[in-house]
Amino acid sequence: RVRNAERCARFATRSSTRVKHEGAVSTVQVSVLLPECSSAPSHLDSVLNNFSSFYLIKKLPVYELLDRHFLETAVYHGAVFGLSYRTRIDEDNCVALMPNGHLTLSLDKDSFEILGFEGKPSRFKHRTATRFVVSVDLTDSSMAPGRRSYLRLLTSLKSRLQLQTDFLLSHHPGGGASIQPLLSRCDWSQHRPEVNCRVLTNLPCPAPLSCDPHSFLEWLGAVDAGISCENSSSSFLSSFVCPEPNTMHRHALSVSVSGLLLPHDIHRLLQELRRYVEQPRLASWVSMTVRGFADSPVSCSNHEHGFLRGGENFYTLMMFHDHTYQLHLAMGAHDVCPP
Amino acid sequence: MKEVEEKEEASVYQRVVLKNASPYHYLKVRLVLEDDSTRLSAVELKYFIITGLKSLYGEVGAALNFDVLKYDEDTLTAFLRVYSSLVKLWSSLTLLGSYQNQACAFRVLQVSRLNPRSSLIIRIFSEVIHS
Repeated sequence: RVRNAERCARFATRSSTRVKHEGAVSTVQVSVLLPECSSAPSHLDSVLNNFSSFYLIKKLPVYELLDRHFLETAVYHGAVFGLSYRTRIDEDNCVALMPNGHLTLSLDKDSFEILGFEGKPSRFKHRTATRFVVSVDLTDSSMAPGRRSYLRLLTSLKSRLQLQTDFLLSHHPGGGASIQPLLSRCDWSQHRPEVNCRVLTNLPCPAPLSCDPHSFLEWLGAVDAGISCENSSSSFLSSFVCPEPNTMHRHALSVSVSGLLLPHDIHRLLQELRRYVEQPRLASWVSMTVRGFADSPVSCSNHEHGFLRGGENFYTLMMFHDHTYQLHLAMGAHDVCPP
Repeated sequence: MKEVEEKEEASVYQRVVLKNASPYHYLKVRLVLEDDSTRLSAVELKYFIITGLKSLYGEVGAALNFDVLKYDEDTLTAFLRVYSSLVKLWSSLTLLGSYQNQACAFRVLQVSRLNPRSSLIIRIFSEVIHS
């Protein structure tokens, strides 16, 4: 059985239903392709350049996330999102803190046994369970500071497992003050998401509706990665060509933003793109691709995520002039297919 | 394995689930050479990989269908696309140990089944932050 069976779900709608943001919570990069456009309109440009900044904390002891003050000012308000950095989901201990107050620890067998807290075997296990997931709802009353479960987890993380990790932390606008006390106890740095903008000329584009989704996704990925498709089927190096039927666009704008991005910012971008595509233009579609961290312990809708071979975890949203959209979701074989 | 599931809701919404439907695999690989100053062109790189396939799998292996989508001569990094036989390509890359009498190794940086761009973001997030 092929383990890396991928699933690709394709959604299409033909009415003017509203486009709903899927909410991939741990986003590393969003890229936008605007055909027949050489510079982004100012309102779109300002959204792209105003993504919230995020913090990188060096060697954060994980029990700091259970600090009473941090819980009360940040976690209970759903204001923060955090993810362990440079940890690999298939070999290291990974940590994620969700805006809904869920703390997820993805641990190897030894660490899980040392921690001694309730968890369940990972979906991404081999014949014997070698990885365990501990998921705690910090907003639950049993996890309130001072309660028994809270104290047990705190002592386990403080005196037994002593888990430390580099940690990326981001907060919703206006939530900056709530994480200052945590930052003051650690070594941290602030980063802004990096914006990369390219104008492509003479770009052949396939027709999105008549092309099969795999070829279209492949073409989009190739444009994003700067791969040339000016080949013929007989060339020695590469036989990759733009899918037929295609039309030549004189300009196209490809913008990508990388960093720890918040769903809130992606939603704003989505709204702007909808406004952009509604206006009459030469090209009738735009695409937005949102990629999640390959090593994040959670992906869409708080489901568990694993690496297998590729750690794929992204979606592409194609929006058309007539308010219809297509959503292409891609994920690994063991990931839960979103509803 | 291919499964298509369709659901109609007042004829406005369609859902299709494809499993294992992509015929290609994408790899991002880097060639590490003993002498850092050695440079290969894209054609030389592809020929080198084909010799590896030939020595491990013979003539049939040498006929394996793969593309060099993109190649950066400065970092010796390439994106490869292979049709169905990922294991054959990967194993021959692993066993390629010398280029023109100097030790070499291929590092497979990322494998993806869906999208060549996935091979780019990989675990290179560190580069994003420090640049």
